[in-house]
Amino acid sequence: MGTTELLQFALAGLKNGSIYALVALGFTLVYAATGVINFAQGEFYMLGGMLSVWAYADLGLPLPLAALVGVAATALVGIVFELTAIRQRKDGDPLALIIITVGGSMLLSSLARHLFGPNERALPLFSGGGNVSVAGAVLEVQTIWIVGITAVSVAGLWYLYNRTALGRAMRACAVNRDAARIVGIDTRLMVTVSFVLAATLGALAGLAVTPLTQTAFDVGPSVGIKGFAAAILGGLGNPIAAVVGGLVLGMLESLSIAFISSTYKDAIALIVLLGVLFVRPQGLLGRSGREKV
Amino acid sequence: MRRTRIASAIVVLAMIATAFTGCAGSNGASQPDDAIRIGAVLSLTGPYAGLGEPERRAIELEVERINAEGGVNGREVEVLFEDDGTDEARAVAAASRLIEQEGVVALIGASGTGQSMAMRQEAERGGVAQVSLAGGSVITDQFNPWVFQTPWPNRVVVPFILGEMRAAGVERLALIADSGGYGKDGRDATMAVIDRFGMEVVADEQFNRGDTDMTGQLTKIRSAEPDAILMWAAGAEAATILKNHDSLTGMDVLPVYGGPGNARVELLEGAGSAAEGFQLAAGHILVPEAYGPGTEAYEVATGFIGRFTDRYGVAPDIFAGHAYDAIHLLVDAMRRLPEEFTSSDLRDELERTEGFVAVGGTFTFTPTDHNGLSEDDLSFYRVVDGTWALAGEAR
Amino acid sequence: MRRDARTLLPYVVVALVAVAVLTVPLLTADRYLLRVLTFVGVNVIIVTGMALLFGYAGQVSLGHAAFYGIGAYASAYVVVELGWPWLAGVLTAVLVTAAGGLLLALPSLRLKGHYLAMATLGFGEIMRVVFTEARTVTGGPDGRSGIPFPSVGEWTLDSAGANYWLVWGAAVVVLVLAANLVRSRPGRAMRALHGSESGAMACGIDLVGLKVRVFVISAALAGFAGALYAHVVGFISPSTFSLHVSVLLVAMAVLGGSRSLAGPVLAATVLTMIPFADAVIPGLSRSALETIQSFQEDIYGLTIIGVMLFVPGGLAAALRRVASPRGRER
Repeated sequence: MGTTELLQFALAGLKNGSIYALVALGFTLVYAATGVINFAQGEFYMLGGMLSVWAYADLGLPLPLAALVGVAATALVGIVFELTAIRQRKDGDPLALIIITVGGSMLLSSLARHLFGPNERALPLFSGGGNVSVAGAVLEVQTIWIVGITAVSVAGLWYLYNRTALGRAMRACAVNRDAARIVGIDTRLMVTVSFVLAATLGALAGLAVTPLTQTAFDVGPSVGIKGFAAAILGGLGNPIAAVVGGLVLGMLESLSIAFISSTYKDAIALIVLLGVLFVRPQGLLGRSGREKV
Repeated sequence: MRRTRIASAIVVLAMIATAFTGCAGSNGASQPDDAIRIGAVLSLTGPYAGLGEPERRAIELEVERINAEGGVNGREVEVLFEDDGTDEARAVAAASRLIEQEGVVALIGASGTGQSMAMRQEAERGGVAQVSLAGGSVITDQFNPWVFQTPWPNRVVVPFILGEMRAAGVERLALIADSGGYGKDGRDATMAVIDRFGMEVVADEQFNRGDTDMTGQLTKIRSAEPDAILMWAAGAEAATILKNHDSLTGMDVLPVYGGPGNARVELLEGAGSAAEGFQLAAGHILVPEAYGPGTEAYEVATGFIGRFTDRYGVAPDIFAGHAYDAIHLLVDAMRRLPEEFTSSDLRDELERTEGFVAVGGTFTFTPTDHNGLSEDDLSFYRVVDGTWALAGEAR
Repeated sequence: MRRDARTLLPYVVVALVAVAVLTVPLLTADRYLLRVLTFVGVNVIIVTGMALLFGYAGQVSLGHAAFYGIGAYASAYVVVELGWPWLAGVLTAVLVTAAGGLLLALPSLRLKGHYLAMATLGFGEIMRVVFTEARTVTGGPDGRSGIPFPSVGEWTLDSAGANYWLVWGAAVVVLVLAANLVRSRPGRAMRALHGSESGAMACGIDLVGLKVRVFVISAALAGFAGALYAHVVGFISPSTFSLHVSVLLVAMAVLGGSRSLAGPVLAATVLTMIPFADAVIPGLSRSALETIQSFQEDIYGLTIIGVMLFVPGGLAAALRRVASPRGRER
């Protein structure tokens, strides 16, 4: 296999990996704030694409505005979901909350089918067609958008976490919720913020991908699984680990196609993931797999 | 605390109410008791909802017309719809409900191959004919006297496509197929006859539903240096394949071919200019001239297309066509029967259908062929300027 | 006297419910109703295993649909392809899934919480690929059809009523055995496990061994249910054993509530019945039913969220409240 082909596979891995990373970030942010795996994360991805299509095709807004509306509306759905469902479970029992997110996932995808129909819907490429040649390999311009949106999101998140009071409060909350509450941090607000961020990140991923893949009411779960796997692979609760996990997972799939078989790419990626978990139960970059007592 | 909970309940109810208004109102008007009842098990929700909706619309439209024209031998036809949720257990339960509680004389459905296979045992035990709307070869290959099928199975489609490809000079073939039933079926059918056409498969790639990128598979295909790509993908992924292919290699360098599963307007919308030059085999319904203007088939098809478009504002797709065929095959058989008949009589009469002109083609059933279509019922298309054109004319 | 009545009451209720459940085929010949209730029975068997795993051992598995599928395919394969009798098929299903459960449990149960959930989810997804690709055994995505009805010697259970009795008879036996298990010493140990692992360890309970055993039991029950499903329906394909089903099974167990069998069984019954509401609500109009079917996923979602919000301890807590109105929670 020539270097050009290898580079092409690497670019495919980078593209898928960026998507997984964005979705994984959503998982990991909510986990850090609540200790919960949010099964509705895939639906945020679906809504980001679907609501943008709605704003673009049904409302007739120009694409940039439609994208903004789509992402903002998904963030709003994240807030509403947190306030009306997650927050109402007063004891914060993680397993109960997880099951609530399962219910939320079913509800959101079904509502999307009622409102937007059962068929896939399309969105135009952000900057028309066109490709860039990288040492003989082809790079789609939309891929640059996908990777760029991921990079900007990660940078923004890093800034939020490390340079703002809100970010410090979120980190404190992730380390120890009770202690954070004692020092006067509104932990409930932090949960809401984490859901807004998770919904926004998921929506950005869905928005960036839809011009290439179209979107439909049922695209959430399959990407949700990939994002969850990426978050676990990297190590839950750590944003950098989520990004690393996403990129590693994307590359793994791409290399499976290149060297083994496209039939078994998902299985191979999962077997590697299980292997990693059995050797390093806390994920690649996780600190410790031990539950807090 | 109580108040916030009530508030949240209200929000959720409001969301549901919004969704309700977004739906077409269903009519609960009951039919007279002597109506002939036919059951339809369709995937109205779940992954195949995109198939079940047009199928239901076509059946509702045609049943209204049949009844307006006096029904069948003076009796009204009533079709009872059941949603299988793209779930096999529900298809089984729905079939038994329709047979047991509603006393249907025949079943239409299911939309999907798996659901069709799951419910056939119920049809057989209930002694009613089942007319499946799913395209899987297995439905009529694993022959069951009670089960019929309206779409073109791949044992008919594949030789037609390969013949066209061979005529275009293709010898080295690359396959890309989804890992589900549609892709596996198409791949198997291709492998089974490839030698007969003097062609070889040089790349054999798969993808999963929901995959967001196909450049990996397409890169591998390209390095195998095929003459053409044959794609077995029924869902949204087909558009992704065409787009990725357009960026990577281009249709003019390496042409892509497809099957009836790609004959969807969503593919044209999704792939946009990347679909230009894409060629596929499907029934004549995409470009009605293919039926031959002036023929009975042309009149039947354009009549249906006109009525459907008037009512619903969109042209019928191939799935609507399969549903049209199913209801009319049954009605035609019933019209040949005396006023009083049993479900078993109906099955026997259905099997005697000969040269019945419908949308999917001209059906002739025999005791060993319960699909009854041939390569004559297929056309070869090419995407030109964002729409289907008959490939012969476009060339 | 009063005390006796109170301790006896649950047994009486259970016995009455069991008798009522098993007499259904005598009261109705409606094959549709019996079919739907048979599916409920199949889910009850799986959920019993999930209830032991989650409610008593505190473990969550997102891969039990895979065991359900392995059991179904194993029994179908040995009966159809190898010509084994049905009972041998069911036994094979139970043994294969128990072995599979053991193989998965040994490395996985070192993992905690969400990492265990991911490992079981990964297993389920890998098995989904196996179900689609191992076509000589599974029939691939087209599935495996023509699976014969359950039969012992000359005697074939080919009516809907007989299938109902078979599945619910099995379900009742499974429930009785499970109820005995949780009252036994290992059962009490399991409950301790759910409370606090370190506490249980301090009491000298062999944690890992216990978790592994419960996991194996739950896997074998899912496999058993799969074998019953395969022969009752006669057709199986990979879509019946998807992640969605695994998630629903967990939802049933959690909705039911921990440390309870009755709660999860009730939850399984309710959730399985939602799309078939007309089977139990007489006089439901067709348009109402079509609306219910169209909104089935919404109803699932709302039911799940509603129970978790308004009945914090799950249906088990609600049942306990009904059983002892004076409110002896826990």
